[in-house]
Amino acid sequence: MAEDKKGSVLIVGGGIAGIQSSLDLANSGFKVYLVEKGPSIGGVMSQLDKTFPTNDCAMCILAPKLVGTGRHPNIELITNAEIEEVMGEAGNFTVAVKKKPRYVDEDKCTGCGACTENCPVKKMIYPLEEEPLPILKEKDIQKIRAIIKEHREEMGKLMPVLQHINKEYNYLPPDLLRHISKELDIPLVAIYQIATFYNAFHLEPRGKHIVTVCVGTACHVKGAPGLVEALQQELNINVGETTEDMSFTLETARCFGCCGLAPVITVNENVYGKLKREEIPKIIKHYKD
Amino acid sequence: MVCAGTACVSCGSLGIKKILEDEIQKQGLENEILVVTTGCNGFCGQGPIMAVQPDGIFYQKLTPKDIPHLVEEHFLKGRPVKRLMYIPPGEENPVPLISEIGFFQKQRLIALRNKGLIDPEKIDEYIARDGYRAMAKALTSMTPEEIIKEIKDSGLRGRGGAGFPTGRKWEFCRKTKGDAKYIVCNADEGDPGAYMDRSIIESDPHAVIEGMLIGAKAIGSNKGFVYIRSEYPLAIERLGTAIEQAREYGLLGKNIFDAGFDFDIEMKQGAGAFVCGEETSLIHSIEGITPEPSQRPPFPAQSGLWGKPTNINNVETWANVPRIILRGADWFASIGTEKSKGTKVFSLVGKINNTGLVEVPMGITLREIIYDIGGGIPGGKKFKAVQIGGPSGGVVPNALLDLPIDYERLTEVGAMMGSGGMVVMDEDTCMVDIAKYFLAFTNDESCGKCTSCREGSLAMLEILTRISEGKGKEGDIEFLEELGKAVKDASQCGLGQTLPNPVLSTIKHFRDEYEAHIKDKKCPAHTCKELISYYIDSDKCIGCGLCSKKCLVNAISGEKKKPHQIDKSKCIKCGVCYDSCKFEAVIVE
Repeated sequence: MAEDKKGSVLIVGGGIAGIQSSLDLANSGFKVYLVEKGPSIGGVMSQLDKTFPTNDCAMCILAPKLVGTGRHPNIELITNAEIEEVMGEAGNFTVAVKKKPRYVDEDKCTGCGACTENCPVKKMIYPLEEEPLPILKEKDIQKIRAIIKEHREEMGKLMPVLQHINKEYNYLPPDLLRHISKELDIPLVAIYQIATFYNAFHLEPRGKHIVTVCVGTACHVKGAPGLVEALQQELNINVGETTEDMSFTLETARCFGCCGLAPVITVNENVYGKLKREEIPKIIKHYKD
Repeated sequence: MVCAGTACVSCGSLGIKKILEDEIQKQGLENEILVVTTGCNGFCGQGPIMAVQPDGIFYQKLTPKDIPHLVEEHFLKGRPVKRLMYIPPGEENPVPLISEIGFFQKQRLIALRNKGLIDPEKIDEYIARDGYRAMAKALTSMTPEEIIKEIKDSGLRGRGGAGFPTGRKWEFCRKTKGDAKYIVCNADEGDPGAYMDRSIIESDPHAVIEGMLIGAKAIGSNKGFVYIRSEYPLAIERLGTAIEQAREYGLLGKNIFDAGFDFDIEMKQGAGAFVCGEETSLIHSIEGITPEPSQRPPFPAQSGLWGKPTNINNVETWANVPRIILRGADWFASIGTEKSKGTKVFSLVGKINNTGLVEVPMGITLREIIYDIGGGIPGGKKFKAVQIGGPSGGVVPNALLDLPIDYERLTEVGAMMGSGGMVVMDEDTCMVDIAKYFLAFTNDESCGKCTSCREGSLAMLEILTRISEGKGKEGDIEFLEELGKAVKDASQCGLGQTLPNPVLSTIKHFRDEYEAHIKDKKCPAHTCKELISYYIDSDKCIGCGLCSKKCLVNAISGEKKKPHQIDKSKCIKCGVCYDSCKFEAVIVE
């Protein structure tokens, strides 16, 4: 979000390509006008379940970008509109845009929903119903209030807040995240984007003991893959999973930075270095008892 | 001096310290001997370690049992304990003095000059070693332009990997207009196998703070951030303590040294995402939005944190700054090669005798690092290659052992300085497996924004996996090369632009090994499981039964004192039998 804007760009079509181009250009400091024929942006991708070739969830990729486009100070959305005429030359265009009537003054509309109730032709206008916030235990409410209070004044407070919750609960309980979203006035989708991006955040509860195998380069050449295999066998779970009795979670990490001890695993805070595959059952047994 | 770096603490050095203090008290020596915990000494493979000053005697691999004997013999009777000293590999006599150990001899310390000498949790000890004098000089008697000129003349280049001249970066940021400017220290050391930044912060956190203060004065910034990996709890704790102490002493805060200059530092923690080491991602992570890299320009120096001009340097770069200001640009520029000045810290790990952290002048050869400092390869194996620069770097093979190390030379041979991880590999390390390993890493850590990086890394990984499983096809190597080039050209940030390097450089130097996998369906290093099998040489096996006892899946059977057999349908190829056989009767092919 540069302060001195370099010029303006008009993008025609609010599909995924138009949205991504708008975001990139707006982030580089251009003023962007995004013109879309339909009443809303999103295009075909918003109608897809999965995308080629990775089978990634389409909406999960698109939704944060929709929100980002809507909130970006450098992007002006012109929906329900079409290009009439383009004049000028490269570097200096004048474009005439024809905006179709929506019969609502968009500048004044607050989205209050009163018009829907009074609409004689029912269901012509319908707002999305907001889901009520999940009910939390009093103890949890106190906790998140304290956490938010501690970080409220910080610049870039979302990360410290999530880190704090992750530390307290060992994972990020989704119900709490909805409250956080409300309290910090950050869209839930933006929170999930952060929560699912980093390896340190988990959305599911984890076991009592966290077993982490270092799979850094030094540990790799000294036999870490064998340790992972042995642990999977011993605990009967895959990496990233938790045993049914919630006692162990198996994870891998890229380098603890104690390469002198390779190969290394940690169980909770305890470090086991220069480890051999045969020693695994003994270590796990120690924590079982 | 007991080392309390992460590796030594993991081996129990704090327990050793406690026992040492108790024993010293028992002998009534508490007024003569002071036990100090220091930051990482660097010789991490030998931990827990301890040095006795002023004699400079070095003890290693200590256990609680050794301490009473050590205190009695050395401190009371004045007879250093030979049994606990370092014995160079292949020799018999121990080397008592720290200054005579090969590992330390060839090092030249600038960024790590205080390692193992001061208690990192005490600011006074740092000050006693000329600490904060450079800052006083910069704040009271130098103009910002003079500071920048000094750094430019010194030839200091970014130690995070890319090697951009630090002075020019500062100048760029200084010249950008802005009502607020930010300074960032990048301590998000994501490269696996590298831990120099962690070690610098753990052993000498004030050097980093002082460097940032000088940089802030030069650029005109009043606020700094340290972005540090959450995987480094000890470093976070020590840096926090150091910042607190600096505030108490008035070295951070308002009107420092009455020079009308305000500056303070805030710590921000990462959450385990490799891409956050990239500067634009790091900025987004601090801002609390999705840490995807963004288009440059605008560079952070023009529009960084919250749209303000921002200067980002790596931990090691910051730690070099105070020495340059104090001792002058000429002194610094006299060390190193023509284009790469000063020293570089490397973490020497993998298949090497002396694992640890070393700081060496630029231009030193790989041979000196691996044989003189590192003490060679363990177990009499043959040196094969060294991987430099982590997932962005490449391998340097045996034939290039005499290569002098600097930024340009490494890039020429297809590797990269990177943050300075050096993973040594011997004949048992498979190059296809290493390439696959790094690709799996970068594929996992790719943020997914650019298709070329996200899909390209996946496609390359699939081909490599196929090759390692013996399903490689003619033309795979050429296709990997082509794909690698495309990914390099079409990706936005450093992660994508460099991720093909491990593949391309292993193909460049070890093409025959790829061909062996594809054409002969053989893994010359016996690493790729699908291509090897274990069997027992009945001439050599004496039927001791050790392997069958150790076998995890009961695949080995046989009568006592008669040759055993491995049931190949049950064998999971874990190699335990191979490692445990004392008669070399287990053969892998």
